[in-house]
Amino acid sequence: MLPAKSSHRPLGWLIAGALSLLAVATLVQLMAGAYETTGRSALAALTDPQVWQHPGVLVRLFLGDKLAHAWGLPEANPLDTATLIVWNIRLPRVLVGLLVGINLALSGSIFQAVTRNELASPYLLGVSSGAGLAILLVLVVYPVLGPHLPLVAMLGGGGAFLLVYLIAWHHGTSPVRLVLAGVIVAAIAGSLQTAVFFLAKDINLVQNALAWTTGSLTGAGWEQVRMIAPWTFLSCVLSLAASRHLDVLLLGDPTARALGMSVERARFFLAGTAIMAAASSVAVAGLVGFVGLIVPHVVRNVVGSAHRRLLTGCLFAGPALLVSADAVARLLFRPVQVPVGIVTGVLGGLFFLYLMRRRQEIGKL
Amino acid sequence: MTPTPSTATGLTGERLCVRYHARQPFVLNEVSLAIPPGKISAFIGPNGSGKSTLLKTLARQLKPESGRVLLDGADLAQFAPRQLAQRIGILFQENIAPGDLTVERLVYHGRYPHRKLFEPLTAEDHEAVAKALRLTGVAALRERRVSHLSSGQRQLSWVAMLLAQAPDCLFLDEPTTFLDLAHQFDVMDCLQRLNRQLGQTIVLVVHDLNLAARYADRLFALRDGRLVATGPPAEVLTPETIRRVFDVETRVLDDGPQGLRFCLPVKKSAAGESPS
Repeated sequence: MLPAKSSHRPLGWLIAGALSLLAVATLVQLMAGAYETTGRSALAALTDPQVWQHPGVLVRLFLGDKLAHAWGLPEANPLDTATLIVWNIRLPRVLVGLLVGINLALSGSIFQAVTRNELASPYLLGVSSGAGLAILLVLVVYPVLGPHLPLVAMLGGGGAFLLVYLIAWHHGTSPVRLVLAGVIVAAIAGSLQTAVFFLAKDINLVQNALAWTTGSLTGAGWEQVRMIAPWTFLSCVLSLAASRHLDVLLLGDPTARALGMSVERARFFLAGTAIMAAASSVAVAGLVGFVGLIVPHVVRNVVGSAHRRLLTGCLFAGPALLVSADAVARLLFRPVQVPVGIVTGVLGGLFFLYLMRRRQEIGKL
Repeated sequence: MTPTPSTATGLTGERLCVRYHARQPFVLNEVSLAIPPGKISAFIGPNGSGKSTLLKTLARQLKPESGRVLLDGADLAQFAPRQLAQRIGILFQENIAPGDLTVERLVYHGRYPHRKLFEPLTAEDHEAVAKALRLTGVAALRERRVSHLSSGQRQLSWVAMLLAQAPDCLFLDEPTTFLDLAHQFDVMDCLQRLNRQLGQTIVLVVHDLNLAARYADRLFALRDGRLVATGPPAEVLTPETIRRVFDVETRVLDDGPQGLRFCLPVKKSAAGESPS
């Protein structure tokens, strides 16, 4: 939108770097695991003509059996074991990681602009915890994963965000007040989540829920891809369309208002977009912390604070971080898989430490 | 951006009353005034006299508890935010910007009220920005970061943003307060140029009476939320009025071929000499 000739290179480099990392992590994810393949056979499976030359197979994978059946598409031919594992298990997990990475990075960037606070992220503002609590409550009562889960998560996340704002509000808010309020709400929501475990009768559900509250892509499949993809798409479109408004918000409320922005309405809409992005990722991957904090920060340091570039960078850097973190989580302690949230949590903690040591005054954007 | 003909705009305030909290006294008390179109007006007065409050109220950044502001006869409260920002621009005393924001990008933000939700930049936008950069003399700095500029250049960049907004009326809240003498001249000369060349209506709050005397066509003197004196500098800046407004004894000198008026503060007025 704006003519920024001088500084296109850093964004290009960032995208190239993120794509390389993503490619390596994806290849590792496709190759490694209980069923080991070479890189070549993983790629062969990925490009298997049995998949690509049969639209029925592709539709079945991407859109689900139900739709394929409804459209009267023929049953799939039996596939190779390698193809089956890559296409049914490993690729969808990578895709879910990719989409979750996009959502969390976008969500973090928007929250940081809306609160003018570089410490803001869906996790620290309590949005993720609120979304998680809402999902757990629903799962206990009605234990079927369904397409309604992102909506449930959005209600929970939105409620938590409002609560955080109410707590933090005292003639305006400050970065530290918001984060403290976020910690309060996250702590309460976390306790209630634990309480739900004790109330739940089904031990299986508890085990799943536990992995899920740390943020895990274990078992993520095409169903999760379908669950999150529309929301990711919507988040991308809305946030990129709003980039100019995010830029103006960074000039502060009075100036934004003087420039003719309806600041409260804009903030409400933008926060809604960020909540949508974060909550839908919680619905498929649980509480993956710190991605929404780290990615926008790193990208901003490279490409600057203009949102069209920042958000574009996040679209690539978010997936790169999440898919590689998931590769580590899945493969480092083989055969045991740890939740990806543990890896991002460790990274996030170190990153926080770095922020604290480097800055005199942290928080203000 | 069209030069504002001196008859096109009229901004008037009618019996404006403003306070920040319901139980506190009024910061503005029944203030009525008419901003002369195509001129530079300056609000003067001691701290807490309501200058900035009046400025913000006229620009609809504050809502009066009673009274109203009229723009060309229409109540300012009725304007949509974007529509208002096309007519009135205001620069606050302190401004924040991301550290990597360049002058050019800042000035482009001035086009915000002229663009619809998803509208790309138009030729008119580029033209307005180029003109604003040129008129404020910051065109050569367009690629520089605002945060790396001197305070005077930074202030001029913000004025350029305001100008790109192309409002009928520019409001500036103490635009020279944090500047050294040379930079004060830079900013005030720039504003004067905009006024002389474009017929731009400008309203500002200033602390320095000599700056006000030198640049303003009309002064509005406030004290305790009331308008005490109005008129051209030569009429308002008399020892009697200054004493009434500031509680300060001054010597007033007229100097130079342009008849510039200077006020030299001598001492604080004795308690008995003050009217309040």
